[in-house]
Amino acid sequence: MTPVHPPPAPGRELSNPPTEGISNLRFSNHSDHLLVSSWDKTVRLYDASADSLRGEFMHGGPVLDCCFHDDSSGFSASADNTVRRIVFSHGKEDILGRHDAPVRCIEYSYAAGQVITGSWDKTLKCWDPRGASGQEKTLVGTYPQPERVYSLSLVGNRLVVATAGRHVNVYDLRNMSQPEQRRESSLKYQTRCVICYPNGTGYALSSVEGRVAMEFFDLSEASQAKKYAFKCHRKSEAGRDIVYPVNAIAFHPVYGTFATGGCDGFVNVWDGNNKKRLYQYSKYPTSIAALSFSRDGRLLAVASSYTFEEGDKPHEPDAIFVRSVNEIEVKPKPKVYPNPPA
Amino acid sequence: MSTPKNDPLIQVETTCGTLLYELQIIWDEVGETDADRDEMLLELERECLEVYRRKVDQANHCRAQLRRTIADSEAELAAICSAMGERPVHIRQSDQNAGSLKEELSKILPQLEEMKKRKIERRNQFVEVLEQIQKITNEIYGSSVSISSKTVVDETDLSLRKLEELHRQLHELEKEKSDRLKQVQDYLNTLNSLCSVLGMDFMLTVDEIHPSLGDPKGFTSISDDTIEQLATLIKKLLEVKIQRMERLQDLATTMLELWNLMDTPIGEQQMFQNVTRNVAASEHEIIEPNTLSVDFINYVEAEVSRLEQLKSSKMKELVLKKRLELEEICRKTHLLPDSDCAIEDAIEAIESGFADAATILEQIELQIAKVKEEALSRKEILEKVEKWLTACDEECWLEEYNRDENRYNAGKGAHLTLKRAEKARALVNKLPGMVEALASKTMAWEKEREIEFLYDGIRLLSMLEEYTILRKEKEQERRRLRDQKKLQGQLIAEQEALYGSKPSPSKPQSVKKGPRYSTGGASNRRVSLGGAMMTTHKPDSLHPAKATPKTRPSKKNERMQNDHLNHRHDDATVFSAIRRGLDIVDTPVRKHSSTPRASNAIEPESPLLARKPFSPITSAVSAKSNTTNMLEVEDNGEKSHKMHHQNNDLPYATPLKTIPFVDEENRTPKVMPFPCTPSTVSVPMQTAMTPAATPAPIPFAITKPVEEIEQSFEERRLASLLSKTQITTSYALVRVCAS
Repeated sequence: MTPVHPPPAPGRELSNPPTEGISNLRFSNHSDHLLVSSWDKTVRLYDASADSLRGEFMHGGPVLDCCFHDDSSGFSASADNTVRRIVFSHGKEDILGRHDAPVRCIEYSYAAGQVITGSWDKTLKCWDPRGASGQEKTLVGTYPQPERVYSLSLVGNRLVVATAGRHVNVYDLRNMSQPEQRRESSLKYQTRCVICYPNGTGYALSSVEGRVAMEFFDLSEASQAKKYAFKCHRKSEAGRDIVYPVNAIAFHPVYGTFATGGCDGFVNVWDGNNKKRLYQYSKYPTSIAALSFSRDGRLLAVASSYTFEEGDKPHEPDAIFVRSVNEIEVKPKPKVYPNPPA
Repeated sequence: MSTPKNDPLIQVETTCGTLLYELQIIWDEVGETDADRDEMLLELERECLEVYRRKVDQANHCRAQLRRTIADSEAELAAICSAMGERPVHIRQSDQNAGSLKEELSKILPQLEEMKKRKIERRNQFVEVLEQIQKITNEIYGSSVSISSKTVVDETDLSLRKLEELHRQLHELEKEKSDRLKQVQDYLNTLNSLCSVLGMDFMLTVDEIHPSLGDPKGFTSISDDTIEQLATLIKKLLEVKIQRMERLQDLATTMLELWNLMDTPIGEQQMFQNVTRNVAASEHEIIEPNTLSVDFINYVEAEVSRLEQLKSSKMKELVLKKRLELEEICRKTHLLPDSDCAIEDAIEAIESGFADAATILEQIELQIAKVKEEALSRKEILEKVEKWLTACDEECWLEEYNRDENRYNAGKGAHLTLKRAEKARALVNKLPGMVEALASKTMAWEKEREIEFLYDGIRLLSMLEEYTILRKEKEQERRRLRDQKKLQGQLIAEQEALYGSKPSPSKPQSVKKGPRYSTGGASNRRVSLGGAMMTTHKPDSLHPAKATPKTRPSKKNERMQNDHLNHRHDDATVFSAIRRGLDIVDTPVRKHSSTPRASNAIEPESPLLARKPFSPITSAVSAKSNTTNMLEVEDNGEKSHKMHHQNNDLPYATPLKTIPFVDEENRTPKVMPFPCTPSTVSVPMQTAMTPAATPAPIPFAITKPVEEIEQSFEERRLASLLSKTQITTSYALVRVCAS
């Protein structure tokens, strides 16, 4: 009954990939441009549909995260403690400000017009990129966190901050003085990635122990009853279970389904509502470091890059694959009833 | 005047006589004297003589002229004749003078004309021949030596002999020309075949030497230069051909070897039949076009390299297989393989080209042989060990069974259990003897070989020793229990005496919850080291894992007081959690919901578990009966979290090792196993209905016992990066200082 599809190719590999670990990649909201940050101290801008390198921006240290502002500029978070603004057309970059420790993650809020950065100095900082260059002009506020910030995600005015020690703080961007909710990760192990549902009702959180939790903001019993966690990115071999960290989650902008990428090199696509796995792409050469759907959800960028989960060791070369996404791979399937209704 | 004038002389004489008569008349009339008359007549006479003399001179002159002409003609004739090498037809013979000079002349002149004509003809012949000779010579010696096209004929020698000579020369030249033509043609043919074999453009090659050679019809250059160039070219191409042929044959030989080695299917081989066919061919036998072209050789080369790659990958596979075989044997005989990463090393070495796959294969084969040999020597003891371990298992079972108060309740299969117990008792009685025998045998073995007998990397003797110690301890414990029971009996009796009622004997929670004894530490260690090998062999031996003896006594009292809690504490090791996971799922969780206090009571005892006040999960557990899956998950997870921390105390928790995963999931076929191949069939998520943190191994050091601070991969990466740069900078500093 179900059509048999041949295993799809891993997608088109972009030429000129970063030379050292890819820390993140993101599609633009306006085009098929792809912004990639990497441990080789660069941020690169690609045109994914044309497979061309549009720009390369050197930093003082490894770049741990990056995001678009609009199609002409973006922001980066670097391990040299700086937050930078990159203007693509001029090839120029200026320092927006500094943290006291490496900056782990960065987001741009279209709602607030602010850049939000999380750092290992246990703070969150908001920046106004329109302000003149210089920390005192651009810095909007500094918000202490219980631990080092590991991941950030934004939806509307909601900001979810995941830190070491499995803390999760939920903020309202309009009132950053204190968290709206203080939570603890419902997963037992270190948080790898947190990302808000596109519909703004909650967030998904992945851990180093092959598990993803689906959470809801609404604290009512009815809403909290919906939350659940599931296992993924595991390998069972002769009674041994190997569990891999889940490094990346990306929501499909149209269907609300999501892809997860783990250190096992697999990318899985899930339907969170029906609790079903929709698709598994064939294995990539090494760990999946980052994932991003393009604005229309037709392309999926996959960073196959060793994420240092087993320390300093030889590994496959870093690569960025851009695959076109088939609808069947991401579209939720209607629930299947075991018995046809009589 | 009327006299006929038939003879001029007569007329002249008459005229003279007349004139004289007239003169006499005149004289008579005039009356001239006779003297005057005589003088006049003398003068007349003298004048007449003068006229005669002049005429004779003239005639004489004319005759001489004629004679000279004749002589000239004759001389010319003679010259021509001599030039033409012919005998003159007419040589004037003085004796047979044939008439007048004019006659003679008229006779000679046509002859001369004739000869002249013949001479011209002859000359033309010469010119023609010479021109031909010139032309051929030019062709042969090249235009560089070309003489002016105007041929000069030696007028002095136009003899037939000379002509013949020239003709001969021409003929020779023509012969040489044809020879050369033939040679050139030969060369061209050879060249053509060479070019076709080598995959070169014949026309282009030939054009380089002389543009005329490529033209099949018409003029062909046959100069020395051309021939020489052709010869060298042929020699060169022949060298190239031989060189390529050798290369191709090398490739073909390699290819045949590889085919042979890898059993390449005939279909694949047929594509290269034309290559391998020529393996033993000599140079002249290879004539097929393009057999030795660069493209073709490259093509064959590519195939060979492909095959070689295939071979190396197969070799790698083989090495892997052999290595696995070795490991399998080691596993079976409970030997420890040399090193865990040896195989990765080997693969790496092969890939980097440091080592030849064949030698590695050989090494592994050698190791296998060695291990097999060793296995043979261990066999006897191993068998005994197996027996001992089974006996230990039976012992454990028996103990549990003995603790079951309801063991004599008749039920399904009770008689079988009884029988088993009976057998087990007999076996247990034999155990000390068994251990002793095994120990002595092992000692003998060790003495003989002067190495320790290792069982999965642990010395068997120490295992045995441990077992004996445990057994002794157990014995003591049993005694103490008995005493306590007695005491309790007394207490009950006293109470009875006081209140008159006897409390019903306390029901144990479950058979499985009692303290367990077993081969203890040894099996623990084996779990941590061996991984799956244990589960596949005898999964039962895993379960009765227990805490290290030290932790036991302190908890004992608690257990006695709070039976409900005891099972949470006694099995403190991670490994026992395997079984516990199962236990907990079916009983205690439900118990939690019914007795929330109990679960609260646990919390302070696990100080490592720090719950935040906002944590919705904990509150949910204590607040309401957990019905959702998620909550159940969390509940179990909590415990496992605790276990996890306890795990940290174990010094040998190697994070990268995978730990056997004995879980309900693995026992029963999974509802939806992870497919390896992508499929469009949607798969239900493994939402955690099962204990959340069964000791699933995480291949990464999330909470290494040594590391006190939690660190993400990125933090560790940065640290490693910094330390690296520091090392290099400090190294640089040292170097600067040194210099």
